[in-house]
Amino acid sequence: MMKIAKYPFAVLSAALFAVMLMTPVSSISKLIWLTSVDMPVGLVSSLEVILFDFQRLGTGLFIILVIGFAIAFSTAGLIARFSSLGGKYLYAIAGGAAISLALFLMVELIFQSELLAGNKTVLGKILHFGAGFFGGYFFYHLISSDRNHTFIIRFLGIFYAYWLLGLVLEWVFIPVNASADFGFVFNELTSDAQNALLRDFTSFFAATFLFAVLGSITLNPAWFFSAGIVYFGAGIFNLIAIYAHGTDFNQIFIFEFILGAWPSALGLTILLKERKAT
Amino acid sequence: MKIKFLLLILLFSNSAFSSYKFETVLDDLEDAWSFVFINEDKILFTEMPGKLKIASLSDKSINEVDNVPLVRYSDQGGLSDVALDPDFESNKRVYLSYSARDKNKKTTLFLLSAKLNGNTLENSKVIFQAKAPRRKPIHLGAKIAFLNDGTLLLTSGDGFDQREKAQTLDNHFGKIIRINKDGSIPADNPFVDVKGALPEIYSYGHRNMQGLLVKKSGEVYEHEHGPRGGDEINLIEPSLNYGWPAITYGIDYSGAVISPFTEKEGMEQPLLYWVPSIAPSDMIYYEDDTYPELENSFLITALVSKDVKKVTFADGTDTQESLFSEVNERLRNIEASPSGILYLLTDGPKGRLIKVLPKE
Repeated sequence: MMKIAKYPFAVLSAALFAVMLMTPVSSISKLIWLTSVDMPVGLVSSLEVILFDFQRLGTGLFIILVIGFAIAFSTAGLIARFSSLGGKYLYAIAGGAAISLALFLMVELIFQSELLAGNKTVLGKILHFGAGFFGGYFFYHLISSDRNHTFIIRFLGIFYAYWLLGLVLEWVFIPVNASADFGFVFNELTSDAQNALLRDFTSFFAATFLFAVLGSITLNPAWFFSAGIVYFGAGIFNLIAIYAHGTDFNQIFIFEFILGAWPSALGLTILLKERKAT
Repeated sequence: MKIKFLLLILLFSNSAFSSYKFETVLDDLEDAWSFVFINEDKILFTEMPGKLKIASLSDKSINEVDNVPLVRYSDQGGLSDVALDPDFESNKRVYLSYSARDKNKKTTLFLLSAKLNGNTLENSKVIFQAKAPRRKPIHLGAKIAFLNDGTLLLTSGDGFDQREKAQTLDNHFGKIIRINKDGSIPADNPFVDVKGALPEIYSYGHRNMQGLLVKKSGEVYEHEHGPRGGDEINLIEPSLNYGWPAITYGIDYSGAVISPFTEKEGMEQPLLYWVPSIAPSDMIYYEDDTYPELENSFLITALVSKDVKKVTFADGTDTQESLFSEVNERLRNIEASPSGILYLLTDGPKGRLIKVLPKE
């Protein structure tokens, strides 16, 4: 089972890894330009740009890279199988070529404009090729040895945390927008209410983000269950608020149950596999 | 069946309680972009493929004007705005903005002045060519307005790919341009004596400005498309920097941050901004009394929200109201006739000119 399953998850992992390398190219190029026009770029604003780009720009890029890498690595696999060429550099070059070609085609065939700030310069194009190169190298590393279920669990845990990162960043950096997404007009709240909203929501999402990261690193199911309990709790208390306290119906409980079920399933899988092994 | 019945009731109730009634005056307009009243019955309107037409609103006849310049019709480019000279009654001059290729085969914004003789343009002269070459005709701006001193303003968009150039004065990306009617540069333009700055520049730091008006009082207002969020209305003053893309309330279409900053000393704040975007496409300041409820309001057509935003400003705060959403089409342009009747132009290959009937 894992002999086959490791390939798609290796593509997904390599794409996420390449995204992590790619998005800072755009972020840093923007920060350099902002500095050049005397904008007060500091540590916090730099982090804001880099992390937001990783999460929001990265989500779109991830989908593009998954498609690009799937085609490139399949082609590289076929070349390796039917020729004397092969090895990590073949996949690395395939990864670099996939990103370069994808970015080129996005401009030429679809948008006719450069959507990626970091791809406007020759240096940026080289760095993006480099991100694909290391993505391919990482892919080869992932497929070149046997993998067990923990490989998939780690990817799904990290991907879950990656998704939550967007919410964490919104609450940390732009709470007015984050509040609006949840139906609050931030500036109309009292100062105490603003404070409560900020500390509670931020710690809620930051904690579950950290639980998912720690679960992925340690493979201790308790971390995943912790995240799951928090979101199941949110879903249950959402329903209690609607039916016991008379608030308006809010279908967000569906997503809360999904966000609870995802890490719980990962924790449960680890538990079951551990029991089976013993 | 139940759902259909409910929908019928909803449709009926919508029209029954609708505030305004609408009358389609012209239809099948091909990517019409702008129109202007010659008199109460006749309008001059542009179609982006490069057609300038005169229409009679009473008999609905349409005649194409000859000798229109060759345009590059693609994406957001083509024949764009049309404006009449303030002395049109005596000199019959019209002004056209459009995108076309320059000598290097790049696309940029042009402004042409010509005399309208019957259905023909005569004595045509390109009075301005933007130093804003781009590969693809997008974010051109292209709105024309006249200041009370007779000089002419033209919006020149940031070209999308060249957004950073909106912050430098050696190009026409993201600028409002001020020239005389013959294309010469007014001596009192704000950057005429600034070394390295292009003398036509009136204000800078703009994105894609598709609304521009001069009130009777002389105040200049502009609106511009933001990216994802961050559409703005600005009060324009000469020499000022409106911040794009160093400060913005929007994020990039890709989801990326454009700038983490929304304000900075030396950069102007908008009077109003929209998040999410409404995609403002044209703007008038309504000063007639044909629709008393709209008097002294900004009326802004929107492509995404498919309505007209009525905006008023008082004591530093704005009040907004959504109008004409019953039309339910992307709205490209709005004009008031000489007698104050409002007309809307819808966007797209099958555009319509719609008359808004005053409330009875």
